Amino acid sequence: MTNFTLSKVDLNAFIKSLSKNFDVYAPVKDHVVDGGSVRFKVVSDAKVICLSENAYYPLKELFFRKKEVLFKYSEKGLEVPVKKVKSKAILGIRRCDLHSLANQDRIYMREVPDPYYIAEREKTLLIGYHCKKAEEYCFCGSIDLQGNADIMLYELPGNKFLVEVHSDNALRLVESLKKIFKKTDIVIDAESRKIEGSNRLQKKDVHSFYDNPGWQEGIDKCLSCAACNFHCPSCYCFNIHDEANVHNMKEGERIRTWAGCQLKSFTRVAGEHIFRDTRKDRFRHRIYHQLQYFKERYGTTLCSGCGRCIRFCPTKIDFIDILNRM
Amino acid sequence: MAKKKTTIESKFLPKKVTILSYQRESADSFTIKVDFAVKHEPGQFVQVTLPGIGEAPISICSYSDKFMELNIREVGDLTKNLAKLKVGDKLFIRGPYGKGYPMKDLKGNNVIIIGGGCGVAPLRGIIDYIEQNRADYGDVKLFLGFRTPGDILFQEKIKGWGKNFDVRISVDKLPADSCFAGPVGFVTNMVKNEQIDNKNKVVFVCGPPIMMDVVIKILKEKWFNDDQIFISAERLMHCALGLCGHCMIHGKYTCLDGPVFRWDELKECKND
Ligand SMILES: Cc1cc2nc3c(=O)[nH]c(=O)nc-3n(C[C@H](O)[C@H](O)[C@H](O)COP(=O)(O)OP(=O)(O)OC[C@H]3O[C@@H](n4cnc5c(N)ncnc54)[C@H](O)[C@@H]3O)c2cc1C
Ligand code: SF4
Ligand code: SF4
Ligand code: FES
Repeated sequence: MTNFTLSKVDLNAFIKSLSKNFDVYAPVKDHVVDGGSVRFKVVSDAKVICLSENAYYPLKELFFRKKEVLFKYSEKGLEVPVKKVKSKAILGIRRCDLHSLANQDRIYMREVPDPYYIAEREKTLLIGYHCKKAEEYCFCGSIDLQGNADIMLYELPGNKFLVEVHSDNALRLVESLKKIFKKTDIVIDAESRKIEGSNRLQKKDVHSFYDNPGWQEGIDKCLSCAACNFHCPSCYCFNIHDEANVHNMKEGERIRTWAGCQLKSFTRVAGEHIFRDTRKDRFRHRIYHQLQYFKERYGTTLCSGCGRCIRFCPTKIDFIDILNRM
Repeated sequence: MAKKKTTIESKFLPKKVTILSYQRESADSFTIKVDFAVKHEPGQFVQVTLPGIGEAPISICSYSDKFMELNIREVGDLTKNLAKLKVGDKLFIRGPYGKGYPMKDLKGNNVIIIGGGCGVAPLRGIIDYIEQNRADYGDVKLFLGFRTPGDILFQEKIKGWGKNFDVRISVDKLPADSCFAGPVGFVTNMVKNEQIDNKNKVVFVCGPPIMMDVVIKILKEKWFNDDQIFISAERLMHCALGLCGHCMIHGKYTCLDGPVFRWDELKECKND
């Protein structure tokens, strides 16, 4: 496919034109609401976009909602609420987050088609951003990344993006905006597709480490707080519970919320029996699901190497270091 | 005129069913029969809902595609509220879910069934199945253990089983005022003391995790192979669809790949 260039000055015009058909989301660093953390939010002006830092809040919150009403109940019966969602265009998704999104799509669109997820996700235009340099905890270069954007943006000298187009819809869109997208012969070679410094995980297979004493170092520092689960763009586990309407207990909702496997309650059954009772069981389980179980079942690692679970861990447990030393 | 589609299809949405009969089994358990008519395998389970209270996995303890029986132990919110229902009341069910006992693949075998407490419930479905397909299986031996004589489930049914099968029942404790002629002690002792070899046999085990561990140890001492032993695993479940993650055992979803596992599929999985 033909490549294009987009001058950063024209990013605003691009967003304006996207806004006609989409809610346009991009990473925004908001000091007032999010305490200076980066989060994907609706934008109307390119000025607020922050591409220099990976989002603190995972992209999945736009599709796999933190809280979802599965159905409403009343004396009349049960009813799944109809979601009216405007299509989203999401700009500035890094390669790691595209991988995680592809995994979430796999689960919630293919394995068990989930009407709640699909309503949020279908017709979404994905505009990826190739980051230039790995952050301290990133290791996406060690992961066999999957997942494609409709449009991919690469930094070019001269305050410009190189624009790769990967879908027919996106091509129509870009060709309709001739004033800002200029055809070019520049192509991205394999070397430039790599992200500098991202190759941290040296072990390809964690299979044989199950009983390795090396885990202890991480386990000793782990607080079982599940921050790693909730920041992870790939984690897809949830809880289900019912919430009654306090004014009329005969009505209410069945709710799905994010869950964290690092919490003890995650495997607690009758008689206070907890299957993964020790921090060791839980810590190892998360890493195994991320790097092994999901791959065994679905062919890709669940983990994208984004490093959030290390960066936002209160005790900064670098499980990549730990694995490398095993 | 075509009816306007107002509902969205969701795998989380259960169907309304009516209670056809209600039988108290013991101080803290009861069996209900509901008009939920679906094809299923023995050992599969359903998700039972009372709106506003919650949802929980319950094994199907009958074998019929015309109705379904569920034996429920009152341990928490949902199960205690289910206990308060009467014949004619409604509840909601989705399923069946999971992999049951592969009865068709095991034709021609002699069957040993070992159940402890409420673990007898899913095994009752197998017995119903075998009764309906009697010619396909050889000798059937049952070892069932309960806490006290008052906790013995399915008393009427068990009398009937005694006519066709070799049924052994033990109780852990014998309170002073109760009468019970069978052995007192753990069900595992009955199995240990029994002369059994592994020839042409399959063993179905269901009960509390500790009981299953002990039974498997005893069976191994009696030279049973891992692929002759089937257990029904219990895990916390929120979805029964292979999504929520709670039921995962070393990468396997108990709700999809189980709850019935052949022992060689599970034995390496440890605590995960
Ligand atoms: C495949 C499968 C089949 C089952 N079959 C039966 C059955 O035939 N009859 C029966 O009485 N019970 C069965 N159970 C157990 C039953 O699901 C739980 O006892 C039930 O969830 C308790 O719900 P509750 O709302 O009454 O209790 P809650 O108020 O939710 O909790 C009471 C206690 O039970 C625990 N609990 C919650 N969910 C489960 C769970 N899935 N498994 C075990 N403990 C849990 C809680 O952590 C708490 O400690 C089965 C469980 C599984 C996984
Ligand atoms: S964020 Fe860190 S401390 Fe918290 S549960 Fe995860 S690994 Fe443990
Ligand atoms: S496990 Fe950690 S590094 Fe991997 S995708 Fe999740 S947050 Fe990112
Ligand atoms: S119960 Fe949710 S994954 Fe098995």
